[in-house]
Amino acid sequence: MAILDKIVKPMIAGLGITSKRLGHSRPTVMYPEDKREQFPRTRWRHVLTRHDDGLEKCIGCSLCAGACPARCIYVDAGENTEENRLSPGERHAVRYEINMLRCIFCGYCQDACPTGAIVLRKDFELANYDREEFIFTKEMLLEPALSERSK
Amino acid sequence: MAAATDIQTVNIIVNGIELAVPKGELVVEAVKRLGLEIPIFCYHPRLKPVGMCRMCLVETGMKNPQDGTIRMMPKPAAACTLPVSEGLVINTESDALKKDRKGVLEFLLINHPLDCPICDRGGECPLQNNTLFYGPATSRFIEQKRHNVKAYPLSDYVTLDLERCIQCARCIRFTEEISGDSQLAFRFRGNKTHPITFNETKFTSKFSGNVIEICPVGALTNRKYRFRARPWDLQTSEAVCLNCSNGCNIWFDHRAGKVVRINARTNEAINEEWTCDKGKFGHDYYNDEKRLETPFARTGDELQKADYATVYAKLLEAFHGDNTGMILGDSLSNETYITAQNFFTGQLGSHNIDYRFSANQAKGASTVDNSIASLELAKTTLVFGTHLADDLPIVFLRVRKGWFNQGTQVILATDRSDEVSEFAAHTLVYKPGTEATIAKAFAGQVSVADAAAKCGISEPELQAAITAAAGATVITTTSLNHEAAEVLKALDGNFNAYPTGANERGAQLALACDGLSALEQLKKAANGELSALWVVGVDLFSVGLPREEVIRALENVDFLAVQDSRRTETFYYASVALPMTLPAEQDGSYTNCEGTTQQMKAIIPPVGQAKPAWRVFEELSIRVNPRMPFSQASEILASAPAFA
Repeated sequence: MAILDKIVKPMIAGLGITSKRLGHSRPTVMYPEDKREQFPRTRWRHVLTRHDDGLEKCIGCSLCAGACPARCIYVDAGENTEENRLSPGERHAVRYEINMLRCIFCGYCQDACPTGAIVLRKDFELANYDREEFIFTKEMLLEPALSERSK
Repeated sequence: MAAATDIQTVNIIVNGIELAVPKGELVVEAVKRLGLEIPIFCYHPRLKPVGMCRMCLVETGMKNPQDGTIRMMPKPAAACTLPVSEGLVINTESDALKKDRKGVLEFLLINHPLDCPICDRGGECPLQNNTLFYGPATSRFIEQKRHNVKAYPLSDYVTLDLERCIQCARCIRFTEEISGDSQLAFRFRGNKTHPITFNETKFTSKFSGNVIEICPVGALTNRKYRFRARPWDLQTSEAVCLNCSNGCNIWFDHRAGKVVRINARTNEAINEEWTCDKGKFGHDYYNDEKRLETPFARTGDELQKADYATVYAKLLEAFHGDNTGMILGDSLSNETYITAQNFFTGQLGSHNIDYRFSANQAKGASTVDNSIASLELAKTTLVFGTHLADDLPIVFLRVRKGWFNQGTQVILATDRSDEVSEFAAHTLVYKPGTEATIAKAFAGQVSVADAAAKCGISEPELQAAITAAAGATVITTTSLNHEAAEVLKALDGNFNAYPTGANERGAQLALACDGLSALEQLKKAANGELSALWVVGVDLFSVGLPREEVIRALENVDFLAVQDSRRTETFYYASVALPMTLPAEQDGSYTNCEGTTQQMKAIIPPVGQAKPAWRVFEELSIRVNPRMPFSQASEILASAPAFA
């Protein structure tokens, strides 16, 4: 009897729980093949956005760099000319670099941005093998223009 | 200056606090004695008040001397145009004033574009600051703003943005009252009023950079700094401008090891708060792509990169005895001059170490009786043989300030009319080369008629100027004709032969100059009589000597060592070359034209393997004669009695 009570019954009970759970949906995702949908206000990798006409929203004002508590943003600005127009108005960013090793993803840069150019989006896969690779340049941060996105 | 007891004071009441202040002081200044601040735009302590912006409104009233009752005025008054008087009552904080200030700012902001994110003034802008502290949070103005010219290049240095202008007239008053060129003025009326040069000509003032700094908005911005950085990107350090001998105090703004801009740093004894354009915009050589980064040594026809040890060995082999010479620039640090003298004469045994390219430059310290600040108090000033605005810009501003504020009588004697002649009581334009004759006429050593005829000046004019110049403070430079300088020095008044090289004064004090002068060394080198020549911190092609002579000297000297911060033209003739740090990359001290020795700290890292010149001399010196070398610039200065 002791064997029945101490071994067989718990086994049946355990299998019962297992069989009950078999019907539930799975919380574990098969990362990296599957990725979990991020919360709407998740703050991960920065993106420099564009206007609908393809011009960059960033005007190189460096307010993000001023607001950054980790001082991980470096902005170099330049003047727009008729031949080389990157953004509306007089000024654009020539260099825009974020040191992702320093970034604490606080989102203050997004708050400070007067044109809504820098936004923190849901791409969280930021690991890399080389420290140099963590300096995200303007080319890496800038989202592709609408015309190129459809391709 | 009047003694403190001579100043008449009046009793005023500021925010209920009784205060005795000098009679006639403006309210905006008087309240600062209590640590209060009145918001301002158009008011500037060094300019005359105009009361244009209405930002400084305060409530005023009078205290009745009989019964002590206070009667307030019904409306606020501008603090910047109101001098204090006995019994004046001022309120700087009240609900009504808060509303007034909000109203004034709302009006100012109606036509202000609010493009702060791209404005170079953003972050250090008085309009931003005042709006934050006193202004409305939002605007009720929903109509189209006034549109006007943006980013108009007023000159090579100044950009004008008329949309941002709030018509405070600070720039206009600066050109009228301080620099004296009066190039800016208001055009049009009402809504269209804006400052501009006459007929939109180029703004050629030699002090144009100052209007950028005094502009309370971003209407006048620095073309060289345009979009280079924002104020919070910059690191700023105290520095001294070494583009001329005035030694203006500056803020050296740098970012990632590169100089970005220069701003004036207030020093009442030297530059007050002004800079000249040569200083404010002339620091590009720090970022020059021709900076010399490594030592070079010649192999055959080619200069090839080498290391210090190789170059040191070659130098010590080539330089010994009086058959060698060293030419120093006039803008090196005192430490460089001291160590160079000790090393070259003491260790290598040559007396030919000098900085003088002009035969007029005398050996030893030139006579300087007046400090820069004391020039504005002179009764009569004789400016002789120099173009002050070019040679000594800050001295020019002082002389002009003396004329503008105290009525100093200025007499100008020079070879062409310049900025000084605009306000000089007498201008004598003599024929070039006749300085000595006209100086003798001032001293009464030649007859006025003879001098007038010889110098090409009308006799009555010369006579009037000589009469007026009795006992005058003479201002000239060390490059003035030697004979003329001796004559003028013997006159009754003070005599000032200001050096024009950035640290020429330091060179005068530190170098013995008992061998061949730089000019004589070059002549000797041209004849092939000099076995080795060492050129430190000067491009021989830019000192005003004929090119052929310089080339002949450089080609006929057996061994040429060049120590410089840039690959100058001289560099390409070198047998060996050493890179040198610039003033902001090294600790050092510099003595300005009036004799004030100012310290400068290393601000930015040196380029490549560049070393301070004094360190090179010390390293060479211990190779000749082992001893404990100086390791810091301050130790060197302390060791030199001339700078004690």
